[in-house]
Amino acid sequence: MSSATTGKPFFLWRHLNKLRWLTLTLVFATLLLLPALHLYQTYVAAHAYDLLAPDEQRFYDTMEALSAPFTNDPAKDLDAVKGTTWSANLFGLKLSDPLAALGQAAAGHTLYLPFLLTALIPVLLTLVLGRVFCGWICPATFVYELNTNFSVWLRRLGLKTGTRRFDRRIKYAALGVGLLLSAAAGAVLVAGVYPPAIVGREAYYAIAQGGLGAGSVFFVGTLLFDLLVARRGFCRYVCPGGALYSLLGRFRLVRIRRLVENCNDCAKCNAVCEFALDPLHDGFGQECNNCAACIAVCPTEAMTFTLRLADIPPQGPGHLGHQYRKQHSGDNARHQQAVA
Amino acid sequence: MQRRGFLVRLAASAATTAAVTLPYGISRLLAPPVLAAARTHLRPPGALADDRAFVAACIGCGLCAEVCPPRCIRFFQREGGDLLNTPYINPEAKACILCNKCMQVCPTAALNVTPREDIDMGIAQIDRSACYPWVDRGICGACVSICPLGPKAIDFALWNQYRPVVQSGCVGCGQCVEVCPHPSLPIGIVERSRGTVTPHRI
Repeated sequence: MSSATTGKPFFLWRHLNKLRWLTLTLVFATLLLLPALHLYQTYVAAHAYDLLAPDEQRFYDTMEALSAPFTNDPAKDLDAVKGTTWSANLFGLKLSDPLAALGQAAAGHTLYLPFLLTALIPVLLTLVLGRVFCGWICPATFVYELNTNFSVWLRRLGLKTGTRRFDRRIKYAALGVGLLLSAAAGAVLVAGVYPPAIVGREAYYAIAQGGLGAGSVFFVGTLLFDLLVARRGFCRYVCPGGALYSLLGRFRLVRIRRLVENCNDCAKCNAVCEFALDPLHDGFGQECNNCAACIAVCPTEAMTFTLRLADIPPQGPGHLGHQYRKQHSGDNARHQQAVA
Repeated sequence: MQRRGFLVRLAASAATTAAVTLPYGISRLLAPPVLAAARTHLRPPGALADDRAFVAACIGCGLCAEVCPPRCIRFFQREGGDLLNTPYINPEAKACILCNKCMQVCPTAALNVTPREDIDMGIAQIDRSACYPWVDRGICGACVSICPLGPKAIDFALWNQYRPVVQSGCVGCGQCVEVCPHPSLPIGIVERSRGTVTPHRI
């Protein structure tokens, strides 16, 4: 999707990262808003306004102001949008995480088609766009990326944060082991260790059920792991859902590619990549989530989107970099010698 | 011979203990169950009858609770072990109103759309040694008044129009448990097979 004539990426691509942050924020805010709206719904259904405490009445008024433009009968109409990214109900359309479908099939030893179909749209989107859930939607990503920024601040203050690297294939093993254990235990155990499911669930528990649940401890653990051991470590090395999305996105159509003629080998793309990929050497692979952070950070407009079913093979050093110019001038010298 | 004497005395005392406790054991075995243990963790209405199948089918998405108007559906936390994040209803805290929204929203087959009369969350059981009208401590009838299914589920005894009697139409929603004013909750939900619905047992 780069224009072939100028060799420049389409000017909007570098602003996609802002759109991505907007999406992440909206999804996270929705996950906080839905339980609050549910609480409001139950107050409405019980005609309980006069029985509420003053702060609950303020809450009621706020929610009424928020939802009144969109609803006639809040107790009923607000049922149109329910759920979390793990499984949701949007205006009658049921959507589920592919890992939920797979985990349930493993736990019950059956394929229950009506539920598997709810994962169809996310699967199709992943086949075309790759692991976009991880970068653009996942409510845990919102927290994890803020956590990464927090660790950058800590480093500026002179504190050490984790920079270890592990084998990225661990998460595929985690996916396999998680599904096997789910099948053996007869319970969807992967749901308990999958951060986006945990975040949605815990938001609901905290707001509408009066307190955080057991998953919050695990989630805080992953945050500490990211902060103290490996940057974005859980997503990179452990997350079973990320592994599933990576496998589904292996032959995605929409990819990021490096324009080697614009690249100056500054390696900012590698530094910014949350998933420890290697955009500098054209190493995107199946785990790229098209988050467009490398496009946004690139100072020489050398990153763009492209429609291909595979990454282009490594193109060597960037044409604006020292290494390429050294090689190139050497070539020139030899060429001039040959001419002379 | 000291050891032998010790062993003999040991055997004798064991035999005595057994002989003394045997009648108690036999009487315990023969005694009818007075009151089945009340369940404080009911599955939401329409749940698969086999609880293992329910746990296997439930993905813990929480949609059932998010549409529940009385907010009666709660979720197992650490104490639930591998039941983690699966839903339950504690009728002592908040009971189901049989609105059937949860079974309609459930994306998996864990909760199935079931007509109101066919729901089986259990059956109410009244402890007649504590219930106010049953011990002639007053006229209450709160359970009969609140019951969403009416006289086919719980009704007054024919021969004493103050004493509530559970009928076979009870689906175990637990409204009666929530409303019961007695501090020791002489009404509770038990498994249907352990419920007593013989209406006029004397």
